[in-house]
Amino acid sequence: MTRRRWLARAVFVTLIALLYGFLVAPIVIVVAASLNAGRFLVFPPAGLSLQWYVKFLNSEPFIRSFFFSLRLAALTTIITTVIGTAAALYVVRYARRKDALRMLLVAPLQLPGIMTSLALLIFYYAIGLGGTSYVGLLIGHVVVCTPYAFLTVIAVLYNFDRSLEEAARSLGAGSITTFRRITLPIIKGGVISGAVFSFITSFDQFPVSLLLSGVGTTTLPIQVFDYLRFSFDPTAAAVGTVNILITLAVVLMTERLGGLESLYWGGRQ
Amino acid sequence: MVGARTRGARTLARGRPWFLVVPALAVVVVFFVLPYANLVSMSFLTPGKAEPYVAVPTLGNYVSALGDAFQWWILWRTLKLGFLTTLVTLLLGYPLAYNLARASSRMKGLLLVLLLSPLLVGVVIRSFGWMVLLADNGLINSFVKHWGLAPQGLKLMYNEFGVLVGTVHVYLPFMVLSLSGALQNIPPDLELAARSLGASSTKAFWRIAFPLSLPGIFAGSLLVFVLAVSSYVIPVLLGGFKVITTPLLVVQTAIDVHNWPGAAAQAVILFAASLVCIGLYFKLMNRAMRGLSA
Repeated sequence: MTRRRWLARAVFVTLIALLYGFLVAPIVIVVAASLNAGRFLVFPPAGLSLQWYVKFLNSEPFIRSFFFSLRLAALTTIITTVIGTAAALYVVRYARRKDALRMLLVAPLQLPGIMTSLALLIFYYAIGLGGTSYVGLLIGHVVVCTPYAFLTVIAVLYNFDRSLEEAARSLGAGSITTFRRITLPIIKGGVISGAVFSFITSFDQFPVSLLLSGVGTTTLPIQVFDYLRFSFDPTAAAVGTVNILITLAVVLMTERLGGLESLYWGGRQ
Repeated sequence: MVGARTRGARTLARGRPWFLVVPALAVVVVFFVLPYANLVSMSFLTPGKAEPYVAVPTLGNYVSALGDAFQWWILWRTLKLGFLTTLVTLLLGYPLAYNLARASSRMKGLLLVLLLSPLLVGVVIRSFGWMVLLADNGLINSFVKHWGLAPQGLKLMYNEFGVLVGTVHVYLPFMVLSLSGALQNIPPDLELAARSLGASSTKAFWRIAFPLSLPGIFAGSLLVFVLAVSSYVIPVLLGGFKVITTPLLVVQTAIDVHNWPGAAAQAVILFAASLVCIGLYFKLMNRAMRGLSA
């Protein structure tokens, strides 16, 4: 009996380990391929090399789109964090029709990015903005990132003890001072989580950028996609590894600041 | 709202600072609601010869889309991909969720990082990882050939299997989070009570934990299905334009054929079809829940 149970337990643990292996496989493979000497990652492996990183650093289109994506993601994050936090404050504290407003503001999460991208493209032509402009691309990113900034702050605000603010006000602090010294420090975790999620969503954004980015506004994922269509070579893996490291750094910073779970559930439960 | 308030809070509440919500609201209304409304109305216009559309109302786009056997077949394949992805993520996700819900809080942090790792890498890089593994001269095939398991190699990519691997991989975390949310709310004492009353551990699971986790199963399945039928990049990269799904067809019609009304009608039909599936699903769900409580 105990022996059978031990066996069942071993089978279950192995299954779990295999499933986690499946989940991390592409990342491990991308990193491995970027360090592999050969053009293809084969068995047995061909040895270590940094040549694909050298190729990446010497590739003008990759470097240009890399810095373009960083700037675009930074600008998107600043905008969405400000408007998302402000909207969350309004919806939780002052709005009469909270649920309706909330549903409207998170709607961009409910519809597929590629359709949103197409709808925006056609709309830009209709209002005379043209198909592929920097402003149009930025707006597209802001649309799909705002719900994250909004949702993470909402979650923190629901657990907020209003009496702290009232105490500050009754001791003579103005509304701006109260916000800066009391409200902001308390909701900081949610704001940061929202900013991180916005940044990653924008930096890794593909569907929205696909139809809205053009010559001179090529983001990194689009550049990698175009590259992969014509050449299947590990330079893409080097780019991917750098991308993974940036994301990992940002996420680890958040983990120290507010907990990783907050990224998905908005604030520690 | 909440009992007595100080003067400061009351002043705040009286002048409702609507300016806080205006920027976000403006972004969503002008650059999300309006474009989609425009897309829907576009589906009732006439395709042009030289220009993408002519402002003449018609139902022709729907008539031709619904009368086209090829498009029905593509739609069927898209929905099938959605069903299969949902089913496989459910089967693989359940043990993961069960393990996650019962893990110690220290272990949980590590497991969450592993679980969410597919979401922390962009879809292009992620698909590239799968391409390195699944390609004809990829890692799995070189391994298989090296050991003489399948001398001609296996066809793992640029077909429906490759696309399914990609969609299952990225939507599995959503399923696991939905399931473990439900499983976490079941007190372990319930199963222990069943065990102490003589039920075997298998029976305790099927009679206690499983029925109580049904809400999680329903929520997770719905989420994964909706995400899977609308995915675009994974079918493109891992299907290599050989596995055409409706989102691909929509983009092709709009960008390559330059027929905006036709593309808009196809998009509306996809949304309608997934709504019908969701409706059927809710019916099934209600029946299952009633069956349990009876």
